[in-house]
Amino acid sequence: MNSSRTRIAASVAGIAALALIATGCSTGGGEGGGDDKVTLSITTFGTMGVDANYEQYMEENPNVTIEATNLEGGGAARDDAYAKIAAGTGLSDIVAIEEGWLGTIPDDSFVDLRDYGIEDVKDSWLDWKYDQGTTTDGKVIGAGLDIGPQGLCYRGDLFEAAGLPSERTEVAEYFGGDDATWDRFFEVGQEYVDNSGKAFYHSPRFFWNSFVNQQEEGYYKKDGETLNIEGNDVLKDQFTKIVEAENDELGAGLPGWEVGPEAKAGDFAVYMCPSWMLGIVQGYYDEGTTDSGWDFADVLPGGAANWGGAFLGVAESSEHKEEAAKLALWLAAPEQQAASFELAGPFPSTPEGQELVADTTSAFFNDAPVGEIFAARSEGVIAQVKGPEDSNIQDNVFGPVFDRVSQGEVTDPDEAWDEAMELLDQIVG
Amino acid sequence: MTTSTLGRPARSELTFRQKVSRFDYTFSPFLYVAPFFVLFALIGVFPIAYTLNVSLYDWHLLEGQGEFVGLANYVSILSDPFFWNAFGNTVSIFLLSAIPQLVIATGIAALLDQAIRGKTFWRMSILLPYIVAPVAVTVIFLQIFNQYHGPIAGLLELFGLEPIRWAFDVLPSHIAIATMVNWRWTGYNALLLLAAMQAVPRDVYESAALDGANKIRRFWSITIPMIRPTLIFVVITATIGGLQIFTEPRLFDGRTYGGSDRQFQTIVLYLYELAFPRRDFGQASATAWILFLIIVLVGLISYAITRAIRTADVKPARISAASIGAQQGES
Amino acid sequence: MTATVTSPKTPKPSKSPSFEDRRVVDAERRAKRKRAYERPGVLTYALLIAFFVGSAFPLWWSFVIGSRQSSDTNLVPPAVLPGPNFLSNAMKALETVPFLQGLLNSILISGAITVSVVFFSTLAGYAFAKLRFRGRTGLLLAVIATMAIPTQLGIIPLFMLMAEWQWIGTLQAVIVPGMVTAFGVFFMRQYLVDVIPDELIEAARMDGASMWGTFRHVALPAARPAMAVLSLFTFMAAWTDYLWPSLALSPRNPSVQTALAALSASGGQNPDNAMVLAGAVLSVIPLLILFFVAGKQLVAGIMQGAVKG
Repeated sequence: MNSSRTRIAASVAGIAALALIATGCSTGGGEGGGDDKVTLSITTFGTMGVDANYEQYMEENPNVTIEATNLEGGGAARDDAYAKIAAGTGLSDIVAIEEGWLGTIPDDSFVDLRDYGIEDVKDSWLDWKYDQGTTTDGKVIGAGLDIGPQGLCYRGDLFEAAGLPSERTEVAEYFGGDDATWDRFFEVGQEYVDNSGKAFYHSPRFFWNSFVNQQEEGYYKKDGETLNIEGNDVLKDQFTKIVEAENDELGAGLPGWEVGPEAKAGDFAVYMCPSWMLGIVQGYYDEGTTDSGWDFADVLPGGAANWGGAFLGVAESSEHKEEAAKLALWLAAPEQQAASFELAGPFPSTPEGQELVADTTSAFFNDAPVGEIFAARSEGVIAQVKGPEDSNIQDNVFGPVFDRVSQGEVTDPDEAWDEAMELLDQIVG
Repeated sequence: MTTSTLGRPARSELTFRQKVSRFDYTFSPFLYVAPFFVLFALIGVFPIAYTLNVSLYDWHLLEGQGEFVGLANYVSILSDPFFWNAFGNTVSIFLLSAIPQLVIATGIAALLDQAIRGKTFWRMSILLPYIVAPVAVTVIFLQIFNQYHGPIAGLLELFGLEPIRWAFDVLPSHIAIATMVNWRWTGYNALLLLAAMQAVPRDVYESAALDGANKIRRFWSITIPMIRPTLIFVVITATIGGLQIFTEPRLFDGRTYGGSDRQFQTIVLYLYELAFPRRDFGQASATAWILFLIIVLVGLISYAITRAIRTADVKPARISAASIGAQQGES
Repeated sequence: MTATVTSPKTPKPSKSPSFEDRRVVDAERRAKRKRAYERPGVLTYALLIAFFVGSAFPLWWSFVIGSRQSSDTNLVPPAVLPGPNFLSNAMKALETVPFLQGLLNSILISGAITVSVVFFSTLAGYAFAKLRFRGRTGLLLAVIATMAIPTQLGIIPLFMLMAEWQWIGTLQAVIVPGMVTAFGVFFMRQYLVDVIPDELIEAARMDGASMWGTFRHVALPAARPAMAVLSLFTFMAAWTDYLWPSLALSPRNPSVQTALAALSASGGQNPDNAMVLAGAVLSVIPLLILFFVAGKQLVAGIMQGAVKG
């Protein structure tokens, strides 16, 4: 007993010693000293590719150290941002904000980038992107990074086996080209299912999302406050079509995300692909894969739509607003947007950045000219006003209902819609 | 107490020392217990009490305190199907963990309650999982309960069975989460029960053996009744811990708050979702208080049961709350 | 550590041998002992081994995969021997999230909490066990009652409090709420009430020792074994905590658990399982060391705390 007690004492002492070392080590973060040296923290999420540029910036600005944290998934980043905004401490100097929750952030928690010269470079962004980062009273709290124009990822090999066109321009034409409609999409899907005996798409969640984003007003009216769902015949009509498609077994009954093994197994043949999704699909496969069968077509049923896109904001609680704003604006500049795209796939929100990546092709997607296609797909995008509960409605109202529909637990469109409305009441009401 | 100091220095000095001493003896005990009570009031009692206050308001994470709404938050929680879903999931996961855990722990304790070789080794070995934090347990079991790869998927494939969608279907997800809880706590509880078994006087067994009772019969008619208080204690702590389970379901599918369709959202996870992603501190606080009341109720019921048994039993082993603290950390 | 705990290793002989033949008595005793504590059969060991394998397999398996590559999770039958990649996987984990910072933070947090809890618990436990003061019984009952309070339900006001103090994102936001536990006070009280004779305190008082002196020179030395056990439990509880640190700390200044959670999510749609499991192993190592050093005390602490006859 006694000797072991000594051992406990020894290990506690050891721990205490380690703790002392730790105190010595952990002073590196956050606070820049009195001299020019400054450490800037930045929190990003998902596969934004912003990190492609850190090295260069630190080389060009030797006094700056970038301390980067990347959180997986917008949800984790959002929850953390909410908590730290509410607390007033703990936010990074620069925070990546997703379009879906930009509208929920109190204006006064991020600096007005107009004070740091964003107006001088205002013209470099697509107008609607710049406007999204602007609050109702004209403050600019976010510097636009990427946008999410959508094309159609499809399995060329499976299309071919099912007797459908497989070459990407022909595929685009087959779906209706510039006049592609959702009705046609479901028709082609039915044809594929009949010919192959397999499901056409993985989950209705994504298509629903694309459709909502195509509308002039989505879940909210233009004022960003009034809900636009109950009694909205356009939404309900599409909702009904999706439920019917599910009943016809066009869907594979899979969850929205993490469907890599099913993708590889060919359990479905199309995937809605905003630019940032390319990296995700590619991530399902081993690095360097080129024979997956996936291809990418310049078409989206129902016309152009944006899905997602991020902004960089500078926290009001930052002790280095000036330097942080400088870095944020630099990271959001065309060249850096292009570098991020090359690394991870999010499409630039600046026309100049888009031009820089126009020649980009993707070996994984059968050498598809993705730069060119996304540029084409971003034409005619409607900048929809997002409301405070936009991402909640998407994830917690329609998501679960579509899951239930695709599991065959609900088959009647009206019943499913009523369920969604009940959920909506619960979540937002 | 008031002594004149003039002219009688010696006595006054003595009195002063006495005074100091008396002061020391009267007030030191309070000084010794004060830090605990002051700190606990601040970090334990105040938050719970203030939760009640928050729950009576419209209270937004980012916008702060709003109007007083009385019990409206409670009404909306209790009429929210998500709350009842979370309640059901919590109970289901609890049952799936408590029952097998109790049975196996009792069995292991009975095995160890013999003249076994390598006693210390076995006792330590069953405690091994206890040192693995819930986060690490979940991270590890995520790989084991994986639809596509890992030991279980491999086994199913070997037998030509369909893969199980652990993170998508309700019952499999509950089983997976319950397994994590069981893995971490069974050995710990076995040690508690073993201690209780060893406290049973040996002569009781001896006379039973002389009366011709076999091993199994002795187990059922002596061991089980004698360790019943500890069994109940284990159930109570497991219940209080189980009602607050958070980490395992939170990280089982980290993108969601307990599954894409809330298949395994528990009450504390529901509370978390309300408080942060949905930013409704008022409703989250109401949920906390509802759960608090449930736990108090469970505590009172178990207290009543324990008392009833205590008065009924001849020589009950008294339970100290030694492991409440340890098991309360379960989340 | 409590004197009252039955230690049935050697059943006491019921009576000492008087005039009978010693050998007969011994044989009788052996027979009795055999009935009371039977030598278990093969089945017992088989079951124990099975349980041991079940207990150890997940940890072992995560080390196995953590030292190989992700695709090895697919092997049928599963891989059971470690590979050569543990260090490279661990390094990758350290690069992906601020894991080292998390480890150091957790050592600081758990260390500070342990020191504080053990100190305040010993102080208050001693007062409750050995000192007379007005309201002692009532206050002790209050301690016992608060032991069952699920403090994690107070996270919302706690969050508001820490926000008010501008502490969110700092280590003290996690340390301060853990500084005292009712369990610790009760635990120390239960131990000290038996272990220090009242006469000893009286004697110290007669000698003119101050209260503090008595505490330091009489109570503290006597309390050491219980303090060691309480440190173990407190350190482990602080080390393994997740919910509150996930709210109170920030991803760039994490605890070991929040760092591991972030690591687990880091691959998104395409996780690097070998790296994640290597990280899980890293997070367990400190407690594993503690377990090997003091596992016996842990076992004893659980068993002795469980039952007081």
